[in-house]
Amino acid sequence: MSTVATELSGTKFFMNFPVTDTSHTLAEYRTRFGYQALEKALREMSPTDVTKEVAAAGLLGHGGAAFPAGRKWGVVKLGDGEPHYVCMNADEGEPGTFKDRWLMECVPHMALEGLIIGSYALQGRHAFIYIRGEFDLAYRRMAEAIEEAYAAGLLGENILGTEYSLDVVLYRGAGSYVCGEASAMLASLEGKKGWPRNRPPRLTVKGLYQKPTVVNNVETLANVPVILRLGAVEFKKVGTPKSPGTQMISISGHIAKPGVYEVEYGYSWTKFIYEDCGGMQNGKALKCIIPGGVSTKILNASEIEGVTLDHNSAVAAGSQLGSGGMMAVAEGTCMVRLAQVIQRFYHHESCGQCTPCREGMGWMERILNRIVAGGGRPEDIDRLYQISQANDGTTICSLGDSAGYACSAIMDHYREEFEYYITHKRSMYDGNLTVEDPFASALVGVAS
Amino acid sequence: MSETAVASVTVKKMLDFAIDGVAMQAEDGQTVIQAARANGVNIPHFCWHPQLSVPGNCRICMVEIEQESGDPWFDIACNMPVTAGMHVLTNTEMIKTLRQDTMQFITLNHPVDCGICNKSGECMLQDYHYELNGAASRSRDPKTHATKFFPLSDRIMLDNERCIMCTLCVRFTNEVSGSKALGAVNRGDHALIRPAEDADFNLDVYSDNVIDLCPVGALLSTELLDHARVWYLESTRSVCPGCERGCSIDVWHRKHEWRLSALDPQMNTRIDRVTPHENPEVNGLWVCNKARDLAHLFERPRAEQAMQRGVAADLAVAMTTAAQLIGTARKPVAIVSSWGSNEELSAFHAAFGAKVPGFVKADHLPIAGEIIEDHLLIKPDKNPNRKAALALYPALPERVSDARSDALPADTDLVLVWGEGFDSALIPAGAKVIRLNSYAHADNAGADVFIPISVQTERSGHYTNFAGVVTAFTACFPVKPSIAHAEAVFAALAAGLTAELSA
Repeated sequence: MSTVATELSGTKFFMNFPVTDTSHTLAEYRTRFGYQALEKALREMSPTDVTKEVAAAGLLGHGGAAFPAGRKWGVVKLGDGEPHYVCMNADEGEPGTFKDRWLMECVPHMALEGLIIGSYALQGRHAFIYIRGEFDLAYRRMAEAIEEAYAAGLLGENILGTEYSLDVVLYRGAGSYVCGEASAMLASLEGKKGWPRNRPPRLTVKGLYQKPTVVNNVETLANVPVILRLGAVEFKKVGTPKSPGTQMISISGHIAKPGVYEVEYGYSWTKFIYEDCGGMQNGKALKCIIPGGVSTKILNASEIEGVTLDHNSAVAAGSQLGSGGMMAVAEGTCMVRLAQVIQRFYHHESCGQCTPCREGMGWMERILNRIVAGGGRPEDIDRLYQISQANDGTTICSLGDSAGYACSAIMDHYREEFEYYITHKRSMYDGNLTVEDPFASALVGVAS
Repeated sequence: MSETAVASVTVKKMLDFAIDGVAMQAEDGQTVIQAARANGVNIPHFCWHPQLSVPGNCRICMVEIEQESGDPWFDIACNMPVTAGMHVLTNTEMIKTLRQDTMQFITLNHPVDCGICNKSGECMLQDYHYELNGAASRSRDPKTHATKFFPLSDRIMLDNERCIMCTLCVRFTNEVSGSKALGAVNRGDHALIRPAEDADFNLDVYSDNVIDLCPVGALLSTELLDHARVWYLESTRSVCPGCERGCSIDVWHRKHEWRLSALDPQMNTRIDRVTPHENPEVNGLWVCNKARDLAHLFERPRAEQAMQRGVAADLAVAMTTAAQLIGTARKPVAIVSSWGSNEELSAFHAAFGAKVPGFVKADHLPIAGEIIEDHLLIKPDKNPNRKAALALYPALPERVSDARSDALPADTDLVLVWGEGFDSALIPAGAKVIRLNSYAHADNAGADVFIPISVQTERSGHYTNFAGVVTAFTACFPVKPSIAHAEAVFAALAAGLTAELSA
């Protein structure tokens, strides 16, 4: 594992043990309260009690939208005669996000335990894990964890000798970003083209195979054993009242110490960036932050002053915490090219189903490509805003909206860079970010 | 509709709602677009179809829902259930802008080559462009390119540049025809409609319906491609004679005012295409490919000259001779066509009635490889009106041996054969033959009297289908003077019969 154990103050639910070659196994997980929450749920709690406990803990979804998990579970009616499914969304594709990967590589059993408890709460007989196809170690660790769980009687018929039985299917995606969207993920699970579906009906009414389905992020499910072990009251003491618990943040970009960090909600954003992550590489100044994956609106260095890392203050600051995929951008970065790179991604990943996104993503990328190539026209900025606007709320899933937000937020903050590029046919920063080459100094040493 | 069905409709809960301030009612469970159509309001749509699932991908049917809070809220009408008290706004500035934006997106990479497009003139994209957009493209960048003239099957060409990915064709093959022969490949603006790897679209006998479904000029009939412009054509309501289902169809042919003498006269009287005519009682919205190919059936070489023992004769002379023959016959037998209209059958019955024993034959039998019966429309009897004919006359007896006299009584001295598909070997030796046929056939010259008769597209009438539903067809083309209508022939022959038999 590349992740360095970090010395961040605050409560930690996941990063509270030394990561070793065997720390992910069932035996070692059991030394860290492993599967005690499942025992408690199956032996002492009714399915409704579990849902109530999760709802009382105020657990928010960690996939990006921060929808209360308990409320999502509560929609599914127990005893309606239909099979219910719980799907773990492990198709972590949001650029900059790699916290679920850490969870699946280091604490796969914790997510699996959450999935079993969630399935018990919804009385599902089958549960699904949709894992991103590019993940290798995470996939092997998850598969290993499932095998260990079956062997230990934690999955299969009559779990822990109780009446409850559950089978888990581990399914690998094929590399589509949009399959991380819950309805597209279910379509892909069904063996169809990964195209999102229109709501209504909600997935909790008609989801996988047209049956009530709950789709939860890996981190959300990994929080469930913690809630049952600590109890809702203790859990709520961590974090802020509106955002209880912790958030796994994967930070990358021009940051001195990139990696995965577990942050208690309410942690100071500037302290996190400048102290815990060591500020920017080579002592450069922070230009802006992409808070939670490229789909969230960027914030510049001054906008994160005094903001804490929780959902409410992030929204108040004009963005979202999203999926926790934070990216730091240093001074001297050309924002036009940043927008171009982001837009190239959205164009490549647009599924091609609904009109505004299918046509709009390519259109935006072509305009940005033209600006970068020196062929920008004065009306291009307005056109980009217009395309973003025409994607806002008009598409089936939120990919189109997100791309629009991302692009328009960059233009809101750095419109002068776009105007400069169009007028001068070159970047305000020449596009060259001087980052010290770690091998360069080594070579200098050898030469001297 | 049966009594119980009426009762079940009235039981349905009705919801009060409004569109643009006009109060309306909708059935519980209807979507806004369905309820609007039921109330006569058309909400623009590309991908929505009343008989297919709702993908909600074209986004042109966007409507605004009035909120108590006053905040704007819009959603697609095709996927939004009507709720009681809902007020739908279809004409606000926001909706106009959204629809114009959507039209800009749809035409962004569409070639807009209406001048050379076969769909031009009946294209939804053209209509909506004038109605909802009306502005030049906002894009200054080159359009993306995709495959032109991709053969989806032997019958259908796909122009991927014109395609707007509404997926109507894909859903049709999944949900109606069941062939699952089409799908979408690739993502984003590279997405393409392609045949499925493990299915053959050629085997889908309903494939041509996707041409009608296609809202743009992406799916083209190879038959109609560069063959006719639709504004020169008009349609006439007709019935497909391909099987006992009798699907309601529209036969498209040149408009009367565009029948130019300078053109090849064949062009003025040819069937340019056949499309289904909606008829919920018979065929719904679809027809099979056999109906599309009616031109091949009706435009076979015609018999246009009356003959006596193979020698050309005047039509009136031939009719007189036939009347004499039938009048003098002691034991005449009539072979009745199962392609005659109800009117012709009753004229036949009125003319000969019980006086001449008749037998109904199958004019057409299934050809090799033809589907006998299927889940959707195709029925086993490949004749349009055998049910009505059998109500008047018995079926032709089966042959038991090779003997000539098996099917017909051996002492028969005259056989009147009406229509195609009768084996001349069945005619007893020495019997005289009067033959009525529309098409050229070797047996025509062998008859004592041969009278050419009109085909379905030259006359009007009714067929009774297998379920007893009567549908009408109308003449599309004028009939040549040398060809008679069967009804007129029967009346003339009957005159001879009454004169002679009473003697």
